[in-house]
Amino acid sequence: MTPRISSTDVLVIGGGLAGERCAIEAAAAGHDVLILSLVPPRRSHSCAAQGGMQAALGNCVKAEGDNPDVHYLDTVRGSDWGADQKVARVFADNAPIAVRELAHFGVPWTRVKGGKNSYFIKGERVEIEEALENDGLIMHRDFGGTAKWRACYAGAGTGHSALFAVDAEVVRLGVTVRDRAEAVELIHDGSRCYGAVSRCLRTGEHSAILAKATVIATGGHGRIYGQYTTNATINEGMGAAIALNTGIVPLGNMEAVQFHPTALSPSGILVTEGCRGDGGFLLDKDGHRFMVDAEPEKQELASRDVVSRHMAQRMRDGFGVETKHGPHLWLDVRQLGDEHLRTKLREVWEICRDFVGLDPAQELIPVRPTQHYSMGGVRVNAEGEAYNMAGLFAVGEASCWDMHGFNRLGGNSLAETIVSGRLVGQRIAQTIGKGGVDAETRYANEALQRAEERAAGLLARQGDGPGVYAVRDAMAEVMIGKVGIFRTGDELEQAVAELGQLLDDCDRIVLRSKAPGMNPELSFALRIKSMVRLAYITAKGALARTESRGAHFRSDFPLRDDASWLNRTLARWPEAAAEPDISYEPVGELDVPPGHRGYGADERIEMEMTVEDYNRQVEDAQRAAGKLPVEGML
Amino acid sequence: MNLLKPANTATRQLVYELLSGGTGLVLALFMWGHMVFVGSILTGSRGFDWLAEMLEVYFIAQPTVIVIFVLFLVHAALAARKIPAQLVERRKMIELGKGLKGAHEESILWIWQVRTGMIVLVLGSFHLVLMAIDVLTPLWGERIGIEAVTSLERVQAGLWLPYAILLICVEFHASIGLYRLAVKWGAFAKLGRSTLHTIERVILWLFLGLGFVILLVLAGVIPPPLAFLLGGNA
Amino acid sequence: MSETGRRLTFEVFRYNPQDPDSKPHMQTFEIEEVPYMSLFMALNEIRETLDPSLQFDFACRSAICGSCGMMVNGQPALGCRTQTSDLPDVVRLHPLPVFKLVGDLSVDTGIWFREMAEKSEAWIHAEKAFDPQAQEDRMDDDLAQKIYDSDRCIECGCCVASCGVANVNAEFAGPAGLNRIARFAMDPRDTRDDDEWFEVISNENGVFGCIGMMACHDVCPKELPLLEVYAYLRRKALSTAL
Ligand SMILES: Cc1cc2nc3c(=O)[nH]c(=O)nc-3n(C[C@H](O)[C@H](O)[C@H](O)COP(=O)(O)OP(=O)(O)OC[C@H]3O[C@@H](n4cnc5c(N)ncnc54)[C@H](O)[C@@H]3O)c2cc1C
Ligand code: HEM
Ligand code: HEM
Ligand code: SF4
Ligand code: F3S
Ligand code: FES
Repeated sequence: MTPRISSTDVLVIGGGLAGERCAIEAAAAGHDVLILSLVPPRRSHSCAAQGGMQAALGNCVKAEGDNPDVHYLDTVRGSDWGADQKVARVFADNAPIAVRELAHFGVPWTRVKGGKNSYFIKGERVEIEEALENDGLIMHRDFGGTAKWRACYAGAGTGHSALFAVDAEVVRLGVTVRDRAEAVELIHDGSRCYGAVSRCLRTGEHSAILAKATVIATGGHGRIYGQYTTNATINEGMGAAIALNTGIVPLGNMEAVQFHPTALSPSGILVTEGCRGDGGFLLDKDGHRFMVDAEPEKQELASRDVVSRHMAQRMRDGFGVETKHGPHLWLDVRQLGDEHLRTKLREVWEICRDFVGLDPAQELIPVRPTQHYSMGGVRVNAEGEAYNMAGLFAVGEASCWDMHGFNRLGGNSLAETIVSGRLVGQRIAQTIGKGGVDAETRYANEALQRAEERAAGLLARQGDGPGVYAVRDAMAEVMIGKVGIFRTGDELEQAVAELGQLLDDCDRIVLRSKAPGMNPELSFALRIKSMVRLAYITAKGALARTESRGAHFRSDFPLRDDASWLNRTLARWPEAAAEPDISYEPVGELDVPPGHRGYGADERIEMEMTVEDYNRQVEDAQRAAGKLPVEGML
Repeated sequence: MNLLKPANTATRQLVYELLSGGTGLVLALFMWGHMVFVGSILTGSRGFDWLAEMLEVYFIAQPTVIVIFVLFLVHAALAARKIPAQLVERRKMIELGKGLKGAHEESILWIWQVRTGMIVLVLGSFHLVLMAIDVLTPLWGERIGIEAVTSLERVQAGLWLPYAILLICVEFHASIGLYRLAVKWGAFAKLGRSTLHTIERVILWLFLGLGFVILLVLAGVIPPPLAFLLGGNA
Repeated sequence: MSETGRRLTFEVFRYNPQDPDSKPHMQTFEIEEVPYMSLFMALNEIRETLDPSLQFDFACRSAICGSCGMMVNGQPALGCRTQTSDLPDVVRLHPLPVFKLVGDLSVDTGIWFREMAEKSEAWIHAEKAFDPQAQEDRMDDDLAQKIYDSDRCIECGCCVASCGVANVNAEFAGPAGLNRIARFAMDPRDTRDDDEWFEVISNENGVFGCIGMMACHDVCPKELPLLEVYAYLRRKALSTAL
């Protein structure tokens, strides 16, 4: 039996790579840590990452000359200058350490084979002699939007192996994990966070956990796009939502939504970028490699936002393969050969066999761009602290630490989870005091009561209100149809209106099952309103942002506008307000002034301010908000 | 690591495993030799008696009976450790095996290995006692030792039935046992499991067939087919 | 591609331990088959249109997270990977045996695997602390590949559910447990010496608990070379003792 109220030093909400890596740091420093997770930690969606993790080790020939500076530059370019460059710098510098540490934890990284190797590069088979002195070091593969081969990988199961290794550390350290537990509400007094209320997904019972530090590490929220996502069914964004529901904590850049070029059509199951990294092609219905025309330099390996747009455009132009589930294009990996596909891309090979019944060594893979990654999330400063709420942190995809800006590079998010988990964990370990939690149980009791009443209220509601799954499906259609790859003001306005309508519907939902216990329908109904709120903020932010940057593309404002929009969207939802409150902050101090990314369109609206003025403005703003990085921390 | 039982049982466990597998292996190989020995009846009584006498004169038969009996009991005792003690557990295993797709072969076969093992224990013990008496005492026949007359008489008096059952059980048990042993220890791994399985089945049918011909001769149903080798008459 | 238009009958095990009125029973549902239909889709359709109280677990729906092991016509399988076109008209679904039942088709595999990891100390026992400044230790790529082959286990529990021994002996490390042990035993970064491994492996709850039923190998959705793994462990035990 879980006690109704318990306490711990550090409460980590989410058992994916980010949450667990953070937990390890706090636990190793001797703090009492509790992890909550919807599923056993090893089933978190980090396990689904296939392709790789970016870290500038520079171990193979095609990575020669790579270093954190180059990685940093790629990341800033990838973000379309939307990233906080300070954070991107910290990230790139720490990625090699974090990746090597994973080797120490046991990840079976694929290694460099000294001597002759045969690779497939830009459509040609190439023989390359790897230096014997590099034999046995961690190998890299090519990924989109990077100047060098940099993605470290373990077969095509990088996320899986990383998550298992990190979880093994969690087990070693004896960290308590409560799985099948969902954080449904933060405990706070309006300025400080004291933990969270958790709902048990075995019994449906609520309990409160008081903590000195609370970390949101709940991953992405792709399921606001319903089934049109590569994300797992558990990626419903409840971490971001409970932060938003405080009414005080802002979410950052929610309109920045990444579409991955190659998800299986129609199931949305991801086929890794590693396929293109290792030499796969994109073909249209005539078998034509259209990316070579569109991006002669990077070809299939431009950044994801760029490739996805070209694909969507190609299908709009009538070059897609029509099916009754809508059009798709082809991914061709036949040239890589059976042996390569069955080892280095084994997971891809299996997915093709199991889910579409084809052999990728012989046949083409039907793919189309699909929602994949949430650049937006709980806005945190460089130390991982949420705005306006002491004691609350966020790491991983759930956060907007903001090294990704408006487009994340493939392989950068796995790396982010372990880098931010590591650094923020250290920060927490250093800052929390030795004593007990100084929370008043009053806040815990109030939060508990609110959560219980919400569940009881839903169960009690009678009548003929809408069903919860109908609301979900309506939300999904709005999001994919109107807040997708290409966005326009008109459609976004409709989307906001329709989502507003759905928000009202959420208050009238009637359950058909009153089954005691966790009751799957009730569990979902408890989330749906929060999901629609996230969707609403996404649409609203997209409507307001009248420029195109990274993954946010407005057909009616196709240029990047550094004069007016070199900033980050912040969205809060004040308690009882009908509308979210949207504001903006500068992206952070500029080190690399905005310029051309090296792929995609080169046209843009230049910033009017000088970089120096911009940076001064950033500093003033940060000082005013008390968000300057703590000296010596990072 | 607390998977481990009270310390230092590991060596003992290894020895048990080696003994149960090893005795199984030796017994199975013995059965091949046994087949040749009893098979000498195919050439007629003279051949059979000659071979029996040779084995006894050179003191091969006597120790063998004792050793085999010991191995037999050791194997039965050790292998039986793996048989679930409780009926519900056995039933669970059987249900599971049946449910697995198309009834999972090796799971079902293991259950039959246990069943046949039990039968072999009963019938084999009885047979071994008979043989011990035959080889070590002058109770039956004209002299100490195995003789064709006694054997033929015995089988024709009705022992053909338990022998037939024992034959089926022991050949089945031994061949699947050898296959399992190879897979468990990774012997002949290069051949692959399906090839090993095929070899196992070939061995099974070969020895079953041979055994039955021998039994038919012993039962007097057919004349010794290889009698011509020794110049004709039985 | 499945023949469309087929009507599928699902007989599903139902029991909600949280409900005092609930008794274990089978419930029948009928739905229309569509092309590329997986059990993930079918069960969601049943829940969303026929019985919203039905409990089951899916997360990744792409055969990588290991959430959705269930008995499909007596055979353990991943629900998300199982295509209805490979199934007969009547499909019987039960929760995996061995694991604790949460409700209906949902079982507590996570707890089982965590306990197994604790018991076998399934983590790298490193001698030296991590040095953030140092280059990574080298490893031969073939060895890395071998470890990866074993590391690929997604802890779905199908093998455990299929194993006769694991079904009757709760102490048995089980196929996936043995695989985990082997994965660390072959990793040179793990400094446990052979004698320590010997104690874990050579044991009736270790590899000598396995009687070679081989179902584990045949049901593993990730096609792990489990039988090779056991042979490796047996031989390792033997060579340590010699
Ligand atoms: C199919 C796919 C492939 C990918 N491939 C790559 C790749 O090759 N390279 C790369 O760099 N990135 C890749 N990514 C992105 C990357 O995998 C993710 O961004 C990253 O793993 C997220 O990790 P996380 O720890 O933040 O969150 P997750 O791993 O998603 O973990 C979230 C955790 O939070 C828990 N949780 C959620 N809500 C609650 C709640 N309310 N209460 C309690 N617990 C909760 C969940 O149970 C889970 O444990 C891929 C993503 C997908 C979808
Ligand atoms: C006396 C009665 C017998 C009984 C009760 C018996 C029982 C068993 C059992 C239960 C097993 C499985 C053990 C395991 O999986 O670890 C087994 C294995 C085996 N048995 Fe027997 N058996 C008997 C006699 C024999 C005989 C006479 C032979 C030879 C002809 C034989 C050959 C084998 C072989 C080769 C194995 C495989 C060993 C292994 O897999 O480790 N058994 N036996
Ligand atoms: C050293 C020990 C053994 C000796 C000397 C021996 C000898 C014989 C002899 C002489 C016969 C002929 C029939 C008879 O005289 O009754 C026979 C038949 C037979 N024996 Fe044995 N035996 C031995 C061990 C075993 C064992 C361990 C088994 C199996 C468990 C076995 C199984 C059979 C069978 C099945 C037959 C029937 C003939 C056939 O069809 O092959 N014997 N044995
Ligand atoms: S070994 Fe295979 S069947 Fe067993 S848990 Fe791992 S993946 Fe599942
Ligand atoms: S099914 Fe069980 S008995 Fe051994 S070979 Fe597999 S672990
Ligand atoms: S849902 Fe993840 S393996 Fe089936």
